[in-house]
Amino acid sequence: MTTRRDLFKIVGGSAVGLLFTPAPWRLIADSALWSENWPGIPRPARGEIRTRFTHCGLCPAGCAVRARCVGEQPVSLAGVEGGLCPFGVAGHHLPYHPARLKQGDRQAAAAAVAAVSEAHGTVALLDLRPGRTASWTYRRAMAALPHGVYLAPEEPAFAVDLAKAKTVLSLGAPLLDGWGRPSRVFAARSGFRLIQAEAVESRTAALADQWLPVRPGAEMALGPAVAAARSDALQSRDREGVPGAETNNAPLAYGAPTGPGSEALQSRDREGAVGAGAILDAPFGHGAAREGAVGAGAILDAPFGHGAAREGSAGAKTNAPLANARGSDVLGRGALRSRDREGAGVAQITGLAQEQIAQMARELRDNGPALILGREMTSEVLAWNVRVGAWGKTVGPREEAPVPHEWRKAAPVTPLPQVADGSLQALIIDESSAGARIPWADIQPKLAPDAVVVLLACARNGYAEHATHLLPTPVYPEALDDLPAPVDAMASEFRLSTPLVPAPEYAVDPVEFVSALAGLDAKDALRRRADAIHRAGRGRLIAYADGKSVPVKDLKPEEFWKALASGAEWIGEESRGPVPRIAPAASPRIAPAAVPGIALAAAPRIAPAASPRIAPAAAPGIAPAAATTPPDAAWPFFLAAAEESGGPLVSPLLSKIYQESRLRLGPHRAALNPHSGFAEGSRAAIETRYGRRIVEVTLDAGVPPGMVLVAGCGAGLEACRVVRI
Amino acid sequence: MNKRYGMSVDIDKCTGCGACMVACAVENNVPPAGAGVTGRKGITWLRVYKIDNGEEYPERRSAFVPMLCQQCGVETPCVHVCPQQAVEVDPATGIVGQMPERCLGCRYCMAACPYHARYFNWWDPVWPPGMEKTLNPDVAPRMRGVVEKCNFCHGRRHRAQERAAATGQRDIRPGDYIPACVEACPTGAIRFGDLNDPASEVAAARRQDGSFRLLEKLGTDPKIYYRSRREWVRQIAEAPKPGGKENARA
Amino acid sequence: MMPGRSRMRGKLFFLGGALAALGAGWAGFPRAIYQSRPQPVDFSHKVHAEKAGAKCEDCHAFREDGSFAGIPTLDQCAACHAAPMGTTAAEKRFIDEYVTPHKEPQWRSYARQPENVYFPHAAHVKRAQLKCDKCHGDEGSAGHLRPFEQDRISGYSRDIWGGQGRPAMKMDDCVDCHRRSLGTRAGQRSCLDCHK
Repeated sequence: MTTRRDLFKIVGGSAVGLLFTPAPWRLIADSALWSENWPGIPRPARGEIRTRFTHCGLCPAGCAVRARCVGEQPVSLAGVEGGLCPFGVAGHHLPYHPARLKQGDRQAAAAAVAAVSEAHGTVALLDLRPGRTASWTYRRAMAALPHGVYLAPEEPAFAVDLAKAKTVLSLGAPLLDGWGRPSRVFAARSGFRLIQAEAVESRTAALADQWLPVRPGAEMALGPAVAAARSDALQSRDREGVPGAETNNAPLAYGAPTGPGSEALQSRDREGAVGAGAILDAPFGHGAAREGAVGAGAILDAPFGHGAAREGSAGAKTNAPLANARGSDVLGRGALRSRDREGAGVAQITGLAQEQIAQMARELRDNGPALILGREMTSEVLAWNVRVGAWGKTVGPREEAPVPHEWRKAAPVTPLPQVADGSLQALIIDESSAGARIPWADIQPKLAPDAVVVLLACARNGYAEHATHLLPTPVYPEALDDLPAPVDAMASEFRLSTPLVPAPEYAVDPVEFVSALAGLDAKDALRRRADAIHRAGRGRLIAYADGKSVPVKDLKPEEFWKALASGAEWIGEESRGPVPRIAPAASPRIAPAAVPGIALAAAPRIAPAASPRIAPAAAPGIAPAAATTPPDAAWPFFLAAAEESGGPLVSPLLSKIYQESRLRLGPHRAALNPHSGFAEGSRAAIETRYGRRIVEVTLDAGVPPGMVLVAGCGAGLEACRVVRI
Repeated sequence: MNKRYGMSVDIDKCTGCGACMVACAVENNVPPAGAGVTGRKGITWLRVYKIDNGEEYPERRSAFVPMLCQQCGVETPCVHVCPQQAVEVDPATGIVGQMPERCLGCRYCMAACPYHARYFNWWDPVWPPGMEKTLNPDVAPRMRGVVEKCNFCHGRRHRAQERAAATGQRDIRPGDYIPACVEACPTGAIRFGDLNDPASEVAAARRQDGSFRLLEKLGTDPKIYYRSRREWVRQIAEAPKPGGKENARA
Repeated sequence: MMPGRSRMRGKLFFLGGALAALGAGWAGFPRAIYQSRPQPVDFSHKVHAEKAGAKCEDCHAFREDGSFAGIPTLDQCAACHAAPMGTTAAEKRFIDEYVTPHKEPQWRSYARQPENVYFPHAAHVKRAQLKCDKCHGDEGSAGHLRPFEQDRISGYSRDIWGGQGRPAMKMDDCVDCHRRSLGTRAGQRSCLDCHK
């Protein structure tokens, strides 16, 4: 009879026996293998490693990109001529972004616009990244429509050459943080001394050779101060206008510059440079202090009868920074008179010592070639550069790459401020590529009631909340587009962002959509453009695969196109142009606005914050409320934009710098000076006239007291208050 | 001759853009953070810290310091404490190699590392749907419960070795083996090379006056050489006693 | 009950249990843990080696950058087999099911290693000059692909050696060969040399 003991013996024997079989060892190994490779963890795809070239479409810098692909799928991106920015490095993730727009009714949108067009309504197209071939297509499409209008933000018609500069005065321009084409900027960096005039200790200020901590918004006041201190040699050579003191303070108003690019300069000037006051009486008779009017207190009696600041969009340069208008206005006329050459007024406005300013001016004069950069490269900034003798050296005209002749009869570029209020029955906005940010409050008044707004975008954090029709577009590595030349390209350029992955079915190509509306066939617009460039016969082609540079003349049109479509770059020749003339302007009597401490007594109305453009979560925008009276001491803070955000969509991997480390300011955070009375990590609400945003506070001693930095709002200063919650 | 791979970081060139951090995550299949994950639980094999001179505005000056595994020399704290021998110093290259497949997740090494350069996988990695197509085949994704850190882009070293074997060369070409952060840096602040090769950039940088290593007095013999012309930066690197004016904030 | 007898009986049961376990472990366990999976196509190496005159590297080639292409993709097969080249049913099925609809066959790779393992063919074939059959066995003379015995838990193949029956999936086997051929010192490498 078998007992329990026998059973135990059997079991014991089996256990010992099993140990001598592969079973337990196999099972241990298997569980290890299984646990390290369980289905939840994705396995990278394997395949042949290929290299493809393109240009990054995330910003106008258009850095050359070498994509490492497994088969056809890009798995990593690297810069060809240097590094890439954090957004560009992870650009290949964008097609899979969870917040990407995936739905939209194309037929309904097209029908709505067509209906407006048929009813003789005005159809406008707002191109947020002008200067592309697509922009020409849009202009042709608008010309083909009975009442089509092409709107675009200002583009400077001159370029800047950092490589030739020895001293650079940057008035708030983020030169080392996403300006121009970074590989070019950093290649030239060791060749010049950088003076950064900015209120905040930004990344550029931290690495500049000298940081001038000016009062918020007052950096543009330095421009005329520097331009005034010209050497005698320059003065005697000055044949434009009256030599001597008066011309020192005349901001730029164009005489009739000639030469290539001059028309652009002229026409742009017509539209009004930043800081409306800058153009006093341009010889065309309308340099009124129209748009971008400064704070109420600043203009007492402009000779055009404007009197008080006029509400209106913030200048042709739609995001006119506060002091751009105020500073230059004040200084242009009032503070900087011949007897004020020591710059006492400037010192008062900027908060710097007079000697410091004088020394900086001397340095720019003596340590040339000098270069003055503004946050926006306006005609004012150009004027100052001309004054310090930078024209032809570090600043010059730049032409666009050649364009097919038949395209020339396209709709003109209309700046937004010139559009009459309530006159647009339909507005199409191309927001597919990151570009200028124009606050909705500037656009809204131009729309007729019940206007159709078709938005072509890839994310929801732009104008999406204001659109009546939302259409999803292809995103950076899917779209074929060319890139406008950045501001630091002295020669014209033509380069394509070539598709690395196919666009999904639901994506609507903005160019195709708009040209279909107008009945225009623009499918091979890029090819036609390339052919036109080839016909012109100038310039050379640089292919990144082998780094060789071939003159265009030596290539056949098909070879040229094929190379461009594989990521090569065409570079034209630098243009020459005569120095733009600076006409003197009568100086109306203006009293400098009192600057009590930090807060302005009469803060001007500036571009309100647009919705932030940082994915994944779209932070609520500060929506325009009813316009109120100009702010006062109840709005004691300056609200300014923190760094660039990389476009409407950024890879989820950017959490590394926004969330897992606090290297950059994310969309829900704000930076305040430690003495503002807020605790680190506390929650606060930022309120402007336009709305409210809840943020988490970060203390940063690089931010001056009385200022708050928020990511993803418009470029410019706004008056606000910060409320504990 | 054995190699000693090291880096030189010019703090005066680093703009704190963060491209290196993102490039590192792309190369090494580090997943994006979930909601609510902060710096404490996030994984950044390379992290750029912002330091400043402790002054008030407007005398405040800042600098950015990229921090990664310092690839300590002989007396490597993490190697000493690991119960699993999941990390070891390769005598042929000097690289301190972390093997997540051996790690059991005790995190003793994280406590031992004086540079806080080691990160723990609190969760299984999750990528948004579709984004797993962009994973790098040269680096294995890790499961939860293991520690990981910078290995000087071992995947790229493997590829360089394959290339050398294919072309019949004895040794890899320096230009073929460049870690992702070095390749991504727009200013060229981070450089990489063989410290034992006197002709390399890093060896030259190390010999320069003013080059220093972090926490040198601990005797870890790290292979990352930093340099800055600013005295207050050097002082922070020597990590004076807490309570001083210096701040090192993540 | 007599004590001697119960002890003997105890030992017998013990032994019986041990033998049963040994039998189960050596004979029954493999049958249970491994599952035979079919390959998508009944491919004959022999035919290709003899009739097509192909050598290993004609289809299993190195790329320019030194990486190993592994099992050929459909394009390589379709280059010759766009139309039937022989008369076998297997080839016909291959053309109908894979070439014509351009569907990539999902081959089961005997040598597939876990994700964290890095095996460079370049170092072994080009540097160490190892022949293919040293690790993969004499595939060239095999008329059919050997059955893919898949471990039910881990999903990997039972072996990579062809025909020797000795499982070679674990690191010990790699280390073994390294030690034997390179000597203990040289055979010792750094972990990251073979892991990723």
